[in-house]
Amino acid sequence: MATQAPAQPIRADSSVEVAPVGDRTARLRRRLAYVALIAYALLMFLPFAWTIITSFKTQADSVRLTFIPDPVSLLGWENAFTALDPSIPRLFFNSAVIAAAVTISNLVLGSMAGYAFARLRFPGREVLFLAVLATLMIPDPLRLVPVYQILKTFGLLSGSLQYVGVWLVLAVAAASIFLLRQYFLSIPRDLEEAAKLDGAGYFTTFVRVMLPLATPALAAVSILQFQGAWNGYFWPLIILTERSQWTLPLGLGQFRELYSTRWPELMAVVVMATIPILILYLFFQRYFVEGVAASGVKG
Amino acid sequence: MAAGTAVVQSKPTPGRLRESRSEALAGYALIAIPMALFLILNIGSIIYALFISFFEWGPRGPRDFLGTENYADVLGDRVFLKAVTNTVYYAFVWVPITMALGLMLAVIVNAKIRGQTFFRAAFYFPAIASSAAITVLWIFLLDPNGLFNALRQVFPFPGLFALLGFADNHNWVGHSSTALNSIVVLNAWTTSGTFMLFYLASLQTISHEVYEAAAIDGAGTWDTFWRITFPLLKPGHYFVATVAVIGALQIFDQAIIAGGASGEPNNALTTMVLYLYREAIAEFNFGYAAAVGMVLFLIVFTATVVQRRLFGQAPSW
Repeated sequence: MATQAPAQPIRADSSVEVAPVGDRTARLRRRLAYVALIAYALLMFLPFAWTIITSFKTQADSVRLTFIPDPVSLLGWENAFTALDPSIPRLFFNSAVIAAAVTISNLVLGSMAGYAFARLRFPGREVLFLAVLATLMIPDPLRLVPVYQILKTFGLLSGSLQYVGVWLVLAVAAASIFLLRQYFLSIPRDLEEAAKLDGAGYFTTFVRVMLPLATPALAAVSILQFQGAWNGYFWPLIILTERSQWTLPLGLGQFRELYSTRWPELMAVVVMATIPILILYLFFQRYFVEGVAASGVKG
Repeated sequence: MAAGTAVVQSKPTPGRLRESRSEALAGYALIAIPMALFLILNIGSIIYALFISFFEWGPRGPRDFLGTENYADVLGDRVFLKAVTNTVYYAFVWVPITMALGLMLAVIVNAKIRGQTFFRAAFYFPAIASSAAITVLWIFLLDPNGLFNALRQVFPFPGLFALLGFADNHNWVGHSSTALNSIVVLNAWTTSGTFMLFYLASLQTISHEVYEAAAIDGAGTWDTFWRITFPLLKPGHYFVATVAVIGALQIFDQAIIAGGASGEPNNALTTMVLYLYREAIAEFNFGYAAAVGMVLFLIVFTATVVQRRLFGQAPSW
């Protein structure tokens, strides 16, 4: 052991810096690679930076290739606040209500089902779990007509009940169940056994022992679902037929049709619609990455 | 307390039976609400869609039983065929480009480079915005007076696009010859970050020993990538390709925001889902739209099966 441990880094080092002869060209190539990478990374931010700049320009200035607004104008933002129907605060409110409801229900229902599928034995478990997985392969739009009919039958296509309609469709995603089940499976059984010996029932074990241990997975599900619901377009477009119920993406889509080339106004709305997710991304980048990666790892 | 449970466990049959029954009951209690939602809104609604597709079904419900007539109408409709062509074209072009980009970014971010976390965060960044926001932004960038055309004038390569026959103020999203391709580029840009994360998870399953062995054999970076990394990523390719094709065949948001419900210009942006949406929500042809949905499902299903035959193995959930 003691002799092997230092041997490894030496080998790894020697494989990195193979040829001392080509050292300078290697370093140059490395530098060029970094320049290219940084340029590509900046290219990722450039369009969004352009959006923010444009939102502070005047209409005439907005089509010019200048990086500093001349003059700096708040007209775009003002118009965005006054011209949009429903108003920006209302759109924010609607988006927030739906995204919060979807996130909470995915956490609660997703962890319940995830825990049951991971740990509790009951007849039909495998079949039901396979059925959940199979829905990942079925195109969502196939459900447009039947879901519309079902929601209409239950009177969920009018007034604020439209919120409930969107929420029901997004209430628990197969991805949430799957991600949480995989995480519960990875937790060692010892802690549950200990809780059982202390006389804890299944629900107590689930709530007191398993849920606290699953915090990273719950965080990943929250981020994934909040982002999905905040950004969602398809189901809100179909179910939220009353203007007063619209979310930010719907408002933006409509605004684009009405104000097709009023760029400062449009860009102000783009900025506002993106900022909440941007803030989440700055603080919880890890969970964005983990959530997406976890939904990408099979089993 | 502890003694009591020990006694119950030592008597096998009645105690275990009671325990397994209470375990099953707990299981059913926990899955009851999520599974009820699933059975009604997912699995049930698919069966319901099949049922509706056999009827002439308007906003007030079923009018006439048509049998398979909706399907015959769908398959004979020229706009539907246009929608299929557009969607399949989109999938064939967008999937390989985005997978290659995602793989390239993943290999870069997976290498021992300084600022790894920053680059990963930057490459995933375009994926966080909503489809509505990013599409409106894209329309602005590609507008006749937009940033892209302006940059073409500044940099010394306008000749390239002029050679291809594009005017200085070409309307990329609004012209039928370039509308769909501009959506391809938009989505390749935004989704490559997501595929990077998928590939990154897959790359991390390859053991270091393989690379060390290759280094000892004197394999260069290029050889190592093509001879080792690429083939060993086979499960990753299969997974990303499956997700990509299923997603591509459902392209909708960007199409309707850029081209409206009629897929302008001239149906260049009419995709299968856009067509389904138009028939259902604008025309209230629910039976017909349900048949479109079933055909879409068959196409997605066939694509998945073909991919599994060609590249895959059974998924090991």
